[in-house]
This record gives sequence, structure tokens and C-alpha cells, in this order.
Amino acid sequence: MTKATSTILLVEDEKELADEIRRELERLGHRVRIVSVAEAADAARVGDAAMLIMDRMVYGEDTLKTLALLRAEGVKVPVLLISALASIDERVRGLKAGGDDYLTKPFAMAELTARVEAMLRRLDDVRTTKLRVGDLEMDLIEHTVHRGGTRIELLPREFKLLEYFLRHPGQVITRAMLLEDVWQYHFSLETNVVDVHISNLRKKIDPRDAPKSLIVNIRGAGFMLSADA
Amino acid sequence: MLDFLRSSAVRVALALGLATIVATTGVFALVYLQIRAADEKSNRVILEDEAAKSVNHTVEQLRSAFEVRLTHDLRRLDYAALFDADRKVMFGNIDAFPPIPLDGKSHFIAAFRVPGSENRTQPAIFVARPRPDGSIMLLGRSLLETFAFRRTVLTALATGLAPMLLLTLAIGAFFARRASRRLTAIHDTIARIMKGDMQLRLPVRAKPDAIDTISRDVNLMLDEIMRLLVQIKGVSDNIAHDLRSPLAVVHAQLERGLESTDNEELRAAARQALAHIDRAMLTVAALLRLADVEYDPKSNKFETIDLSAICTDLYEFYEPLAVSKSITMTLEVQSPVQIKGDGDLMREAVSNLIGNAIKFTPESGTVRVSVTQEEGRPVIRVSDNGIGVEPAERDKIFQRFYRSASGHRVPGSGLGLSIAAAIANLHDLDLRFEDNHPGARFEMTGRRKG
Repeated sequence: MTKATSTILLVEDEKELADEIRRELERLGHRVRIVSVAEAADAARVGDAAMLIMDRMVYGEDTLKTLALLRAEGVKVPVLLISALASIDERVRGLKAGGDDYLTKPFAMAELTARVEAMLRRLDDVRTTKLRVGDLEMDLIEHTVHRGGTRIELLPREFKLLEYFLRHPGQVITRAMLLEDVWQYHFSLETNVVDVHISNLRKKIDPRDAPKSLIVNIRGAGFMLSADA
Repeated sequence: MLDFLRSSAVRVALALGLATIVATTGVFALVYLQIRAADEKSNRVILEDEAAKSVNHTVEQLRSAFEVRLTHDLRRLDYAALFDADRKVMFGNIDAFPPIPLDGKSHFIAAFRVPGSENRTQPAIFVARPRPDGSIMLLGRSLLETFAFRRTVLTALATGLAPMLLLTLAIGAFFARRASRRLTAIHDTIARIMKGDMQLRLPVRAKPDAIDTISRDVNLMLDEIMRLLVQIKGVSDNIAHDLRSPLAVVHAQLERGLESTDNEELRAAARQALAHIDRAMLTVAALLRLADVEYDPKSNKFETIDLSAICTDLYEFYEPLAVSKSITMTLEVQSPVQIKGDGDLMREAVSNLIGNAIKFTPESGTVRVSVTQEEGRPVIRVSDNGIGVEPAERDKIFQRFYRSASGHRVPGSGLGLSIAAAIANLHDLDLRFEDNHPGARFEMTGRRKG
């Protein structure tokens, strides 16, 4: 990864929000530039962007057109869309036009940063057959999980949940990300169901005498599979 | 049928029928009485006239005159006799003097015994007149034919009255039924509008009558209500819209502030503020979601979806939460129950119902989810034996922001049921609340076509 491509380009016409996003991402060690749609497109074409964060609508202009154009040209830069529109139709349209993820306003900054981190460190190696963190190992072919040599029996959904964490070690995973990617639920919940699923999973994968869980809570954001466990 | 009889239109028709009958009967009675009076008068005049003419005849003249009259002129006289001063019959066809005064006026005797018979009687009128020689002349007329004629007239009138009565009732019933059918249609339409089908309007015919005029006024009123509703919704949606960015910004700034200070007091305040902003954001997001579902309905791509699969999936998703609250959760599905719809939206609607049920059911309660096909229509039921809904609150629970007073401490946007109802509506499903004795039961039922 060269220095030039480590820049995140942000296309957002609400200045205060753009500044907050920039500040938050910079705090996490990213380089951020707030740019216009045209600037973002040009930079993406020459490979001068680690990823794009684009508002769906900037100064009354639909950014989906530009995105679709970029994709048609074969530009592969990861794109996170931010939208004021919450309907499922809109999300589908955004993803069809070439967006990799879609976030609806209003969102917590933790939600945005978690998604950005996940996109930047996405493991696109589908040939991976084994995922490993510490002494936890998942075999994707055999569909088995072992921790420290002991076989752990998981329900299909628990397996998917753990797989998601193993694919994003050391990253903040929000509840919304789990709902969307593990359960394919594209709506917000007013209950703590996800936490219950996580706690059930912990009971299965953590040894009885473990001082702390492999999956830790991140206050105000979600969960993280601690890679150093 | 009872409802039909109770309707105001039917009452008007019945009153009208009754009035017609009374009026007709009155006219008929008048006709009858007139005919009867005229007939009686002519009878009396004839008799009195006859008596006056023949009072001065000699006995012999009378004898022959009586003979002629009684044998040849049956039209005018039926009875004629001459009595002496002691009221003994001298000649004629009457054997006993009837109890009438000798005043030359006609008198009615209801049951005159027919002479020569044992006990046959008939109604008759008589005139008695004293003669200069002291004898008494008695003339009489039977009213048998007159009475028969009266009966004929009466029968004729009554016969005419019956079909008239039936006709009036039939016409009344016809109009009443027509009016009541229109009123029923209006009533049904209003009921559907009140249930939220705000696009519906009352029927107005091309040639408007009084009902149509009122219907048209109601329609205009509905248009106005609609306009105001859209306006109010627009305002609330705009507020929500404009709140999004500031909320996100404040959230971020507070988070940043939280990170950059070690002052515990400040940190605690920031954390509390963040919790409140999280709630505000949840509400704003739900409000915008609701607006999206309500406003942009048919742009959603509908495809064949299986409600059984959706509910089974959600059941598995929610079951651990129920278990963690020691709630027993059961699932009953008839597979597959297919409808045309948007799977993501239906998942959201049912998720709201199940989430609510678990939220409002105390520990060791039960939550049941079932998907069935009843009379060809899909039915999703989510029932619990929790705190239920107070009768006074039942029509409010689908309103925006309404949260049960008893359930107020349970956090939530208060929009979950509104969103579920909007999604159900989009899929031609009705979302209803039923009492589960105890607890709540929410039913999503396919609407009857047409």
C-alpha cells in the first residue's frame, strides 16, 4: 500500500458533518480529504484514493451517476454511501450502482468508522479455508471450530456470527453490521437481541476459567474480536 | 334484518305507508257513509210520501190499493195493513202492530218478524198514520236488499283497500331498501377511511340528491383533512430531516469530548447526553423510515415471498432473547404461505411485533408466533400473555409515538407499531389488535379482495 492511496476521500456538502467525519477518522490515524464529486472521481481513476465516502446527494447532484460511471470504467475503489433516504429501495439502488456499503443518516460516528475500517481491511481472499485468531480455529470446509484443540459445537447461525468476527479481527463491529451481514436484516431494532446472541456465542467459545472473553464489548459502538487473546 | 327495520329510511317508509292507509280508509268510509245515507233517505221519503198520499182513501180504496201495491209494485212497498183503533188488524199482510208512534214518520225496526214465519226476522222501516175514521194505516219496507247493497259496497271498498295497502308497503320498502343500501355503503366507506384508507371517497351519483350533496361535502372535508395531514407530516418529516445532521454532529462532538478529558464529572455528563442523543437519533431514524414506507409505496419491488420462512427465521433470531427472559416462545407455521411483497419490509414488520411481545411479557410468560392460511388468506399472529393493552388505549397503539402508560419505562421510539401497520397496509394486510385474555395478540390478515 503506497502512501498516496491511503487517503480517504470524503464527498459531503454538510460542512459540519464533513468536518466531524474527517476529525474522527483522523483520530483513528487515517488521512482524509474533503472533495467535490468530480475531484473524487478523478482521484479514484488514477488510484489516488484508499476509499470514497459519498453522500448520495451533494448540492442537489445525484452521486450515484458518477459512481455507476466509475464502475463502468472498471474503477474498483471501495465506496461507502451515506444517504438521507432510509427506504430499502434506495439502499438496493445504491448498492447496485456500485456502492460497497450503505449508511443512513443519522448515524453514530462509531457506526461510520467501524464500516470504514472494515472496508479498508476487507479480506477478499475467498480461497481462505481456515480462519484463526489466537488458539481459536475455524475450518470453513469442514464447518468445524476448535479452541485449543477442543472441538466446539455451534449452531449454523452461531457459526456464521463467529465467522464474521474471525474475518474482521481487531475491528469494531457494530450491531447494525451484524444484523445486515449475518442475518440480512436491514432495519434497526429496539431490543438487545444481538447482545444475547453474542453472549450465547461467548459461553460456547470461551473456556470456563477465561479471565476475559475473546469477543469484547466496545462501549457505544459494538463488539470486537480481540486479536491478542 | 333488525338493523334494516331500525334504519331511519325504513321508519319513514312505514310512516308513509300508514298515512296512506289512514287517508284511503277515511275516503272510503266517507263514500260508504254518503251512499248509505242517500239510500236510507230515499227509502224513508218513499214510505212517508206513500203514507201521506193514501191516508185519506176510503177503506175499500185502501184494500184494493194495498193489493195492487203488494202484488205488483214490490219496488216501493213490502208491507201494508189497516188496523182498527184497538190496533187489531183489519186487512193487510202484517199481523201485529210494531211499537212505533202514529206520526207519519218512518221508524227503523232492526228485527221485524216476518209475518207467517216462526222466527225469521229482517230489518225494516215502518210508517204509521191515524186515519179520520180512527183506524191506523201501517206501511213498511224491508231493508234486506238495502243492507245487502251496503255489504256489497263495503266488500268492494275493502277489496280495493288490501292491494292498495300492499302496494304502498312494497313501494315504501323498495325506497327504504334503496336508501338504506346507499347509507350502508356510505357507512362502510367511512369505516374504511377511519381505519386509515384515506384515499377512499364516498360515492356521488351523476344526478345528485340530498344524500349525494352531503357525501360530496364529506368528500371535500376529507380532501381538506388529507391536505392538512400531508402538510403536518411534511412538517414533521422536515424536522426529522433537518435534525439528522446536527444530531450526528453533536453525537460525534460529545464522543470526541469524552475521549479528550479525564474529568469524571464531564465524562459522566457526556455519557448521559450521548444516551439521550442515541434515543433521539433512533426516533428520527424511525420517523424517516415511516415516512419512506408510507410515501413511496409502490416503487418497492414486490415478489413472491414466503411468510412462513420469514417468521421461522425471525423466530430463531428472537428465541435466545426470549430464553434470556425465561419466556417460552412457540412457533406454528403452515408452510409455505406465500404473498406478493417485499421480504425486507415484512421481516421488519413482524420483527417489530415479536420484539414488542417479548418486551411487554414478564418473565416466565409465553409468546406465540403462528403463520396460517385461513379461507385462502394469509394470517400472521403474534400473541403473548403479558401486560396487554388497556381498553382505553387500544385505538391509540397504532398512532405515532404512542406508548402504553404502563410500558413507558421500556425504551423505544414508539413508532414500531406505526411502521408495522404502514408495512402491513402496503401489502394489503390488516394489522389488528385483539385481547388475548390475558395479554396482547396482533394479527396481520390478508384483506378480502374487492
